[in-house]
Amino acid sequence: MMRIVVPLRRVLDPAGIVAHRRLRRLFINREEYLIEPADHCALEVALRIKDDLGAEVVAVSGQPEPDDETLQRGLAMGADRAIYLSGEGFENADEAVMARALKAVIERLDGAALVIVGMTTLDTGQGQLGLRLAELLGWPQVTGAWSVEAADGRLEAVRRSGDTYVRVAADLPAVVTVPACALKPRYPDGVRLINVYRGEAGMAESLEEWDAADLLTVEEQAPLFESRGRDFPVERERGTRVEGTAKEAGMAVAEALRQRLRR
Amino acid sequence: MDFTFSPEHKALRRMIRTFAENEIAPIAAEIDREHRVPMEVMRMLGETGLLGICFPQEYGGMGAGEAGYCILMEELGRFCTSTATNVGAHIGIGAMAIHLDGDEEQKRKYLTPLARGEQFAAFGLTESNAGSDAANINTRAVRDGDEWVINGGKIYITNGGYADIITIMAVTDPSRGARGGITAFIVETDWPGFEVAREEDKMGIRGTSTAELVFDDLRVPHENVLGKVGEGFVTFMKSLDMGRLTLGAACLGGAQAALDWSIDWTKTREQFGAQLAQKQSVQWMIADMATEVEALRSLVYRVAWLVDEGQPFTRLAAMCKLYGSEVASRAIDMALQIHGGLGYTRDFPVERAFRDARIAEIFEGTNEIQRIVIASRLFREHGVRISP
Amino acid sequence: MDASYLDLMMAQQEEVFEEAEGGGGVWLVADLSGDEIAPVTLEAIGAARTLADSLGAYVYAVLLGDGVTPLAQTLYQAGADGVRIADHVGLADFAVAPYLDVLAGLFEEEQPEIVLFGASDAGQALAPRLAQRMGGGLIEHVTAVTLEETTRAVEATFPVYGGEYFEVRACPEARPQVLTIEPGAFGEPFLDEYRKGEPTTLDVEPVEPAVRVQGPADGFEPPEVSLSEASVVVAGGRQADSFELVERLAERLGAQLAGDRGAWDAGFIGAEQIVDVRGATVSPEVYVAVGIRGDTFHNAAIEGAKFVVAIHPDPDATIFEMADLCVEARPEEVLPSLLETLE
Repeated sequence: MMRIVVPLRRVLDPAGIVAHRRLRRLFINREEYLIEPADHCALEVALRIKDDLGAEVVAVSGQPEPDDETLQRGLAMGADRAIYLSGEGFENADEAVMARALKAVIERLDGAALVIVGMTTLDTGQGQLGLRLAELLGWPQVTGAWSVEAADGRLEAVRRSGDTYVRVAADLPAVVTVPACALKPRYPDGVRLINVYRGEAGMAESLEEWDAADLLTVEEQAPLFESRGRDFPVERERGTRVEGTAKEAGMAVAEALRQRLRR
Repeated sequence: MDFTFSPEHKALRRMIRTFAENEIAPIAAEIDREHRVPMEVMRMLGETGLLGICFPQEYGGMGAGEAGYCILMEELGRFCTSTATNVGAHIGIGAMAIHLDGDEEQKRKYLTPLARGEQFAAFGLTESNAGSDAANINTRAVRDGDEWVINGGKIYITNGGYADIITIMAVTDPSRGARGGITAFIVETDWPGFEVAREEDKMGIRGTSTAELVFDDLRVPHENVLGKVGEGFVTFMKSLDMGRLTLGAACLGGAQAALDWSIDWTKTREQFGAQLAQKQSVQWMIADMATEVEALRSLVYRVAWLVDEGQPFTRLAAMCKLYGSEVASRAIDMALQIHGGLGYTRDFPVERAFRDARIAEIFEGTNEIQRIVIASRLFREHGVRISP
Repeated sequence: MDASYLDLMMAQQEEVFEEAEGGGGVWLVADLSGDEIAPVTLEAIGAARTLADSLGAYVYAVLLGDGVTPLAQTLYQAGADGVRIADHVGLADFAVAPYLDVLAGLFEEEQPEIVLFGASDAGQALAPRLAQRMGGGLIEHVTAVTLEETTRAVEATFPVYGGEYFEVRACPEARPQVLTIEPGAFGEPFLDEYRKGEPTTLDVEPVEPAVRVQGPADGFEPPEVSLSEASVVVAGGRQADSFELVERLAERLGAQLAGDRGAWDAGFIGAEQIVDVRGATVSPEVYVAVGIRGDTFHNAAIEGAKFVVAIHPDPDATIFEMADLCVEARPEEVLPSLLETLE
């Protein structure tokens, strides 16, 4: 049976954060975590393939985290197994370290046919995890897939190319990254949700905890980047009048819009 | 004393809130305007298993207990009182009666599809002559061989227009009154002799079906007697008790919504050069609302815990309903005042919530009945029998 | 007779750069936009120049494609010291495997210190794989760079939560340091027409792509984005004069069309397109209000918009209290030149 690995990450709910520009400080008013929206969609893509063809969907922690609730949410949605990676020295793992860890997990699982992961993270906007993993595994990558079908050792996906959508195909095994708005993730099944969180009806065995030290050496756990602080945008200035005639104003606004929208 | 919710209840709340934000909130105004029951939402709720939230997993339910059910009602009540009422009538009195007093066969045959949301339930007690005086019903059931023949009618039955299974109370022994004369029957609505006579056109909760039912030689097999013949009164007292707690939870959701809307509006609205939130009179209104909501929350979840622990809860459940309905009415009234003219227009949810909240003081046992229940229980604990 | 020293100095001499030997340097992978060098590549050259000057290194650009050799001059004009071209029919369309193969081979030899990509679709697909293959560090969507002289590490700034604030990161040891440059973050450099050079053509045998494009996705419908989730909204009001211009602007910007209650009363928009506390609350990246006076109920519904442009003839219109950019003029006088400039 096909195995699909879905790394799941979590992200701090931006609704509970205020970035105060004048004070240049970050206030966390309400610390609540969401499943990374793109990974949430990735899990939905995996579950749809499972519904169509039958597959084993394994959710794996996509970042080192202090609790395994994200994985429980994945199990409640319908993942068959969840693997929580932990360990001393692993807490600072960055995408490069996680990619190595995920490769080791896949090897320990005796391989997989597909890795489906979110394209970019809601907070830092980094899209490295899936693609670094693709390189480590030596697998082809399909980025920004809006829909995925898998059968007979190959996959077909629809992805965006400029302003249009195109169909692509690749041989399995492959890595697919999914954007956050690709499709609407399903609601978890209520009975499954209760059993996952209570650890009943066999769900307790579905969540496994693996020690990162079994998978990676100490050197391999060292992150590549260091944080060098934060920066804040300038305070918003409203009410800036555009000078000149109406025609000139039109051109100035067009330039401003162009600037803004390219970002 | 551990006042935290368990992980599964937190996860449940999050799931229900996401569902309500995405599926229920967008249509709440529409179903009120069009006076229709959102069957598509009811079906989706069924598919997620939420319509069996407090029933055991062996009968197709979720097994989340009364606490889980209160969470469901609170979150639904936040977004749409109509949906909360539809769900509450289905789970809390309709299917609950079968869960409490049904035999194994009845639970397997009826409770399981109801818990799975494959069918919908209602509870038929009230008649034109029997509102608060519930024992004064006239619907008559006469034994005929293996069957009972029911004649009569019911009014103001929530979900009556679309339910598949209704638990009906009928008089089986007119000489005996409430004790021994009333029996509960499980009726399938597609049986001949069952008719939905009309739907009420209501002030609020317009997304629900409130129907008048007519029974014309409706034949019910004897195995559909719920509990024992003559002990229907006990069944419906138990069901209504449970229903009171969860109605209090729905009122909690409505009051919380009123509070949240008010806080948002006072942040946005500026008059006399400052936000409304900076005005002391408004601050006090918000503080009063918030205090009552917190008090209600503590009451509701404590009683839910008592139910799940198997401890007595009748008096406290009545308090939940009494206090909950009044807190919700006060909160939405204050919210309407805070929103001013905007709150009075139909484009904004406050006026709908205002109309929806009022029914809570009336149905499921009027607040007067709740007061009688509370007083009589309390005095009994002190050795006094009071006559209402 | 040879020109004298003075003659040479006085003459308008074309500068031709001689390539330095040895590895290192700040390298840049160029993007194409249609048949031209993409603007983000030119901006990235500006960033590369800043870094190279602080490092005392050279800026090299790599351009892959089919028939792209003439474009090398644009790269020199923007500031590249050296340009490598891989011009092959097998590289005509972007694909990960062949492009990565060429770049990895080149960088294995050249051992760059820093590699910049534009954060285009191609750049975002290539950069992580390249960084992984070479054991380098990667920071994506960079909007500002400074150099830490001692470790020769780039401190790169990138937006968090779509620009709510920024984080700064550096890779102190991993080399090469790969960065993807966010479009529009760095200014376009001045193109010096007197700067010329001789690009080096790479001898390449591109591999087959691992992901095959089969054709347009006929019949594929992306999920609908509701107004409250839209990232760009153009809203017209009663005073928008010609609503047709507003519609054209929405189409041009790829934005969702909306309006205030006045527009709905006038029949320009449907009820689900009303931006109002009594309708839809929006929080887009960009909100353009054309001919909307901006009453309390409308303005409350756009509190979450990140950048607001307002066009209205009345200088006292309350919309201007909300707008970042205000144009006090009649929309029908502003929109035509706006639309024209956007073409």
